[in-house]
Amino acid sequence: MISFKLVNKHFGRFHVLKDINLHIDEGEVVVVVGPSGSGKSTLLRCINRLETITDGELTVGSVKVNDRTADINKLRRRIGMVFQHFNLYPHMKVIDNITLAPIKALGLPEQEAKETALYYLEKVGIPEKADVYPSQLSGGQQQRVAIARGLAMKPEIMLFDEPTSALDPEMIGEVLDVMKSLAREGMTMVVVTHEMGFAREVANRVVFMDQGRIVEEAAPADFFAQPKEERAKLFLSRVINH
Amino acid sequence: MIDLTVLTEHWESYFIGLRNTLFASLMALAGSFALGTVIAVFRISPIKVLQACGTAYVELFRNIPLLLVVYMFFLGLPALGIALNGFVSGTLGLMVYTSAFIAEAIRAGILAVPQGQTEAARSSGLTYVQTMRYVVLPQAVKIVVPPITNQFLNLVKNSSILGVVAGLDLMYYGDLVNADTYNTVDTYMFVALFYLILTLPLAYASRLMERRFARSG
Repeated sequence: MISFKLVNKHFGRFHVLKDINLHIDEGEVVVVVGPSGSGKSTLLRCINRLETITDGELTVGSVKVNDRTADINKLRRRIGMVFQHFNLYPHMKVIDNITLAPIKALGLPEQEAKETALYYLEKVGIPEKADVYPSQLSGGQQQRVAIARGLAMKPEIMLFDEPTSALDPEMIGEVLDVMKSLAREGMTMVVVTHEMGFAREVANRVVFMDQGRIVEEAAPADFFAQPKEERAKLFLSRVINH
Repeated sequence: MIDLTVLTEHWESYFIGLRNTLFASLMALAGSFALGTVIAVFRISPIKVLQACGTAYVELFRNIPLLLVVYMFFLGLPALGIALNGFVSGTLGLMVYTSAFIAEAIRAGILAVPQGQTEAARSSGLTYVQTMRYVVLPQAVKIVVPPITNQFLNLVKNSSILGVVAGLDLMYYGDLVNADTYNTVDTYMFVALFYLILTLPLAYASRLMERRFARSG
């Protein structure tokens, strides 16, 4: 479904992604972990071309993401994204946040878009918040709205860029619960996170990155029990012991 | 004591001046807003040539005195064979001068909308134009209202520059009244009063708008 072949990316002189090879199958949940600045978010953001790659090949389905002829807007409609800082539209009510792209990008009739939106709000557990503004919600609620906003496009893939990093500790659980149920329903998910518990519980695969490289790739049980790479061991000892 | 006959005997002059000042201000206001928006879009466009043109325009007109901009139209253009009267060249000068400030206000407003908003919109499959139309500009407008109304207030007051080039505005007629009455203090006090009649409602309207925007989250 998603395939990186020898992908490199530079920010000016900074080499952010180095020879990335990664294949993600349909229905797989891949969790990307690693120290900050290791290129995890950049890797994720390349998938829907929020970042462009410098060389190599990146395909989603049959689409070459960085091909000049690729219809990027069409591709992005198939890929939902959830950000660390939610990025809800503050000037729109929750319901309008969710229906904007289905109406404007997919051309759905307003009524249908609203029904879909309410369905997903129900699913993330806050159907009663449809008519409030994002600023009236807690962080956890805002992030769940952002997830509903992504799902309302009925995407094939969901990308999560540190979805719980900006949340108060007591709100992390409610967001992770939504993500877990999504994973169980078979959504293809790529998740950048520091939530090792989430990785252990629902990931099919853990990808460990350091300094722009994928250093280790393993099933979560193996990765957490006996990481092969020294850098992964060091990272885990730092994260888990706190 | 204020000599009210200054007003009662010259109300026609004041009225014509007020009308012309209002007229010049409205035209310059509409023109500078349109022109300023275009220049702002130039300045944030990814095309280098447009960026350079926008920057050159802003730096030029923002950094020379208004009087010289008006002279460009009033004295400069006739040298090229295009003669404009004081009213037209004054209004054009005012428009061009103000548009540079408005361009900067609009540009700052657009840039003040967090990058994450654009990313969220674009990543959901909205086009660049849709993203601007539905997500960025509605938020930029709220940020831009206070500085733009400031510029509009300045514009109305700066329109007194027309008086220097015989532009038949309130200031010009004020000078005529003064030449007639020799009552400088009262004459110009009434001129100031008429400017306030134009500017106070504008300031009040801008406060209302800010409050409305503040309420809608």
